[in-house]
Amino acid sequence: MKKTSLFLMAVAVLAMVPLAARAADMKVIANPSVSAGSVSADDLKDVFLENKDSLGGSHVDPVLEKGGPAHEAFLKVMGKSDAALQTYYRSLVFSGKGSMPKALASDAEVAAWVAKNKGAIGYVSGDASAPGTKTLDVK
Amino acid sequence: MKGFRTHWVLAGLLCAGSMAASGQEFRVFDRNVQVHGFGTQGYVKTDQNNWLTMNTANGGSGEFTDFGANATVPLFDKFRVGAQIYEHNVGQLGKWHPQLDWASGDYKFKSWLGFRAGKVKTVMGLYNDTQDMDSLHTFALLPQGIYPIDMRDATLAHLGGDLYGTIKPVKKLGSFEYTTYGGDRRDSIYGGYPYNLQIHGISTQKYGGPVVGGDLRWNTPLKGLTVGSSYVYEMITGSGLLNPSIALGGPNIETPYKEWSNNDFMNQYYGTWSSRSGKLRLDSEYRRYWRDQEIFSGAFRVTTDVRPWYVAASYQITPRLAVGGYYSRFTIGGSIDVPGQSFAASVSDPSRHLDDKVVAARFDLTKYWYAKVEGHFVNGYGGFYYPDGFYPAVNPNGVQATTNGVVLRTGMYF
Repeated sequence: MKKTSLFLMAVAVLAMVPLAARAADMKVIANPSVSAGSVSADDLKDVFLENKDSLGGSHVDPVLEKGGPAHEAFLKVMGKSDAALQTYYRSLVFSGKGSMPKALASDAEVAAWVAKNKGAIGYVSGDASAPGTKTLDVK
Repeated sequence: MKGFRTHWVLAGLLCAGSMAASGQEFRVFDRNVQVHGFGTQGYVKTDQNNWLTMNTANGGSGEFTDFGANATVPLFDKFRVGAQIYEHNVGQLGKWHPQLDWASGDYKFKSWLGFRAGKVKTVMGLYNDTQDMDSLHTFALLPQGIYPIDMRDATLAHLGGDLYGTIKPVKKLGSFEYTTYGGDRRDSIYGGYPYNLQIHGISTQKYGGPVVGGDLRWNTPLKGLTVGSSYVYEMITGSGLLNPSIALGGPNIETPYKEWSNNDFMNQYYGTWSSRSGKLRLDSEYRRYWRDQEIFSGAFRVTTDVRPWYVAASYQITPRLAVGGYYSRFTIGGSIDVPGQSFAASVSDPSRHLDDKVVAARFDLTKYWYAKVEGHFVNGYGGFYYPDGFYPAVNPNGVQATTNGVVLRTGMYF
């Protein structure tokens, strides 16, 4: 019985690791013009899938990272592989139902873009510096 | 000329590929303009029966090319405009006549209410509005019963407007995406239907008419599962010239020709599921197309009842390799009051059905360049009353009951 409990505890702890890793690997940042202070995971997905273009009454424009740990963590939140996400965007672009979000090469580029552009929302590594932006809590 | 065009297209594809960028973006009047494009070149070889209006049975055919390019610009926060040009040449279809694929303005008031107007790609089923975008799909040819490349005009776009949005009434229920639309369908005269009429001495000049319809899909709480339904009602009129000497034994003159529908609708039901990793995808769709029409300027009445469906599976083995397969079935029936013409009594007759068993592989050679190879094992040819890939004009000695074929296709996009 004791062994079973320990095993279940170990499984529970291990199961939490990816969630913790996701949170540590990525933070969502926005231009200070975005009034929202937090965003639900569902709304975040809708913003990046272009189903939703405002948060807390402010217009938002998503920006992606081309790769790296933050992008990997972001893909886990989105529940899509990078190829599937790019295919989704191309389906919008070529059917006239949307446009391709800007994609930048690094945390620094994303942070600089978000700081400079009204309504911009993006993600960077959890420990990345992003001056001039606000961090949104993901609920 | 055709060879020159193909080489020109291939050169364009290589240039597009060499850009090695996911589109181009530049600023005009302080707005970001995005430009994207794509192009494909295919080759089809069959053992017997010429397919899709190409001469596929004798050495195969490379007359299978398409390309498109678009530009989009957000004029305001919620308002975007854009347009796409599309050109294709598939055997006797398209014939290098560029089309305005879509050109629309799109205003999204809220996530649950948006409006787009202009020439709009019609939302219907899983892939109607993206059927030409080969780079999005594992298969070189989508299931031809539902997405026939020779009849793409019949459902592809409308000149009018859409109301659309996503609704989440209760979080536990997932989300609902709706699109309702109305407008006018204007088919190319270089499509499969006008081509099929040529053998009867009919030269089509206009084909289309008003359409209304809608699509409702439910992104269910079961992760990765979406189910939906589409409906279209349309009033289609075709006009042109008829030479009665070709099919009716009349004089060798050209007289005005007209045909029109009394009742014309499509119902479509579909479902798709993708695994959590996104590697495995299962799709299935069913359509019923019903048409009651007057042909030969009202001299004859024909009803057509087409019922295609398919099940498809694809799996991404590695980031560069995906495999898949599908089973597609097309059946046709109805009634014809033309003397000497009728549908075969049984749907098991090869003129009443077309079954296509397909295996496919897709190789992503670079991020913007891919190649596909696909085997088709076709039973039946579905008759000639409604186009379904096999045409008497390119099979003058008749059509055999089975066709095996291979399709190669490569494409690039930016």
